[in-house]
Formats: sequence, structure tokens, C-alpha cells
Amino acid sequence: MKLEGQVALVTGASRGIGRAVAETMAAEGAAVAVNYRSGKEQADEVVAGITSAGGKAVAVPGDVSEYDQAVSMVEQTVSELGGLQMLVNNAGIAKDDLIYNMDPGMWLEVMRVNFGGTFNCTKAALSVFMRERAGSIVNMSSVMGERGWTGESNYSASKGAVNAFTRCCAVEFARFGIRVNAVLPGFAPTDMVAGLMEKDGGKGISKQIPQKRFGEVEEVAKTAVFLAGPDASHVTGALLTVDGGVSAQVGVGKPL
Amino acid sequence: MADVDSAVREAVVEALALDDDEVTPESTLMEDLGAESIDLLDILFRIEKGTGVKIEASDLGDYIQGGIPDDEFSDDNQIISAKGAEQLHKVMPQTDPSELEGKLNADEVMTLFTVQNLVDMVKGRADGAGG
Repeated sequence: MKLEGQVALVTGASRGIGRAVAETMAAEGAAVAVNYRSGKEQADEVVAGITSAGGKAVAVPGDVSEYDQAVSMVEQTVSELGGLQMLVNNAGIAKDDLIYNMDPGMWLEVMRVNFGGTFNCTKAALSVFMRERAGSIVNMSSVMGERGWTGESNYSASKGAVNAFTRCCAVEFARFGIRVNAVLPGFAPTDMVAGLMEKDGGKGISKQIPQKRFGEVEEVAKTAVFLAGPDASHVTGALLTVDGGVSAQVGVGKPL
Repeated sequence: MADVDSAVREAVVEALALDDDEVTPESTLMEDLGAESIDLLDILFRIEKGTGVKIEASDLGDYIQGGIPDDEFSDDNQIISAKGAEQLHKVMPQTDPSELEGKLNADEVMTLFTVQNLVDMVKGRADGAGG
């Protein structure tokens, strides 16, 4: 087990990719703080699943967009699990709309959670990491942070901010033994993209993906675990896409 | 507690990736040794680990200014006053107040701070915290 003896805080871990990250980390031996904002029952379920499989986990409430709550989350993790070595900034929201129709408050709301939450939890965890001169941060970004998509201007901009922040953190923290990387998923079946699946089971999307399929949340989670863990000891500032080739292709025209 | 002189020296050498003989008690951190703000932060965290004495980066400026309000420490153009120069001499005894008063910009006081000044600060904190 690669994460034996380590403690991880995973934000937004009650469902979707965050849940898969929490479960995969626990399966690799990490004790996991399962953060949630509103899904207490789901978070408890994740904790119960990890515990019954012989792992260690606690549910940690908190809204990542509020700095004070991020600090409490880190404090609770350290006091209940005995330390903190890994932070996965996963909590995120989407409020898709065309810019023409978008209420200006909608960009701020998305930015406050997706980028603000990443900033807040990173800063909150730094006091622990810098004192220990060790730590690993994985930011759950998106291929949308590097590419455009109609209706996702606010989400895309927030993930672009996360990518830029990831690079800056990597440079600023490297000397303190802290690594910072990002995972950029393409399309994975979570509640966030449920709307895309409604009409045709997602076929309209999946046929445009070079691998001709959506990603599994476990595939995203394993990449996050790789970046968080000791196998990536010289990897920092990396933005790793897990998208079946989506962002590698031009995407226009008909091939031979 | 570990010997403060050697703990501070080791922190400076390691944070700035210098050879041991490049660092003397008289070396100024920023001017002679080329430390930047992130280096100072690194040095303070290393000192905390080595000695148990916690100093925040913001404490450095406060320590140097000794609680004197900005408008008494320097004039409208940020130039150090007589009172400011006297305070600087207290925490940095190697400085000559007559050389600083009316000449030094308040933003530049940190450039005079030496390894020995940092050792003295850490020792003061350690005593204040009951050793």
C-alpha cells in the first residue's frame, strides 16, 4: 500500500470524483478526512464504507469557499487523524449558462468555490506542511481550464485559475518539500455532467472522444493518488489530463 | 534547546544553499547573502524546527520597529527619524544612529539585519517563552 501511515484531506468527497479519490486513497492505506458541505449522509456513507473495509476515515464538514471553515477542516483532520500529509482540492460546482444570459453573480459563485476553495484549503494546510517541510497537494481541475466550451465560461475560467495557481504553488512551495499538481479530467460520469447524459446516454459526447468513451471516476482517482503519493516524488507543477484524448485533438473536420 | 547560534547559522546556510564559510555573524541577510522574502520565510521555519522558537515573518518588521508608530519612526518621505535610528541601534547594535537618521528609507531597514541580529532576536524570544 503506497499511502500507508499518511493522512489525506479530500474536499467535496461525499460523491463523484472526490468520493472515488477518498476511497482509492483509503484502499492505499491512507487515513482520509472526507469533507462535505451539505451531503452529510453521503459523506457518512463514504466513511462507513472505508471503515468497514478496514480503513480509517472521518467526515469533516465545511464550505471551502469560507477561509475560516477551511482552517477548521484542517484542524479537525489533524486532531482526529493525527496529522496531514496530503490535500486534494476537489470540491467544485458548475453553473453553466451562455455569457449573454449569465447573471454576473454566477461567475463569482463558481470562482469562489472552485478557485477560492482551492486557495483557502491550500493556505490552511500550508501551516502544517511548511512546519513539517513535507506535503502534497492535488488540485482537481478540468480540461475546461485549458480549452473552451460554450456555456462554461465561468467554470472554465475558474479551472484556468486553478491551473495557474497550481504552477505558482509548485514553484513557491518546492523548497519546503511540498509538491503541487493538478488532474484535468475530461468527461467522467458524475452528477456534475448528468445533464450531458440525459438525452442520449452521453453518446453525442462519447463519440467525439478519441477513446470513444467517458472516463471512469476511478481512472481520475488513480491519477490523483499517483500525483499525491511517493511515486510522483519529482513531479510538481504538472497538469495531467485524464480525458481519453479529448484535449489532444483538433476536433474539427472529418479524418481520412 | 539546541544551540541558537548554530541553529540559526544552519538555517541560513541551508535555506540559501550557501557554503558554511560564506556565512558570518556580521553578514546581512538580504544584502550580503542575497535573501529574498521567501528565503526569510524558509529561514524562520527552519529555525522553528531547530529551536522550537516560532517567529512569524511579520514579527521581523515589528521587532525591528520596536512598536514605534510609523509616523514617529520615519517622516512623511519614509526617512528614518532620530527616534527610529535609536531603535534600530537597539536591535542592530552594529548600526550608527548618526549614519541612519535623516538618510535611511524605512523600507530598507531590513537590509541592515545580520545573522547575529537574528540570533539575538531568537534568543530573546526563547527567553521570553521561558526558554
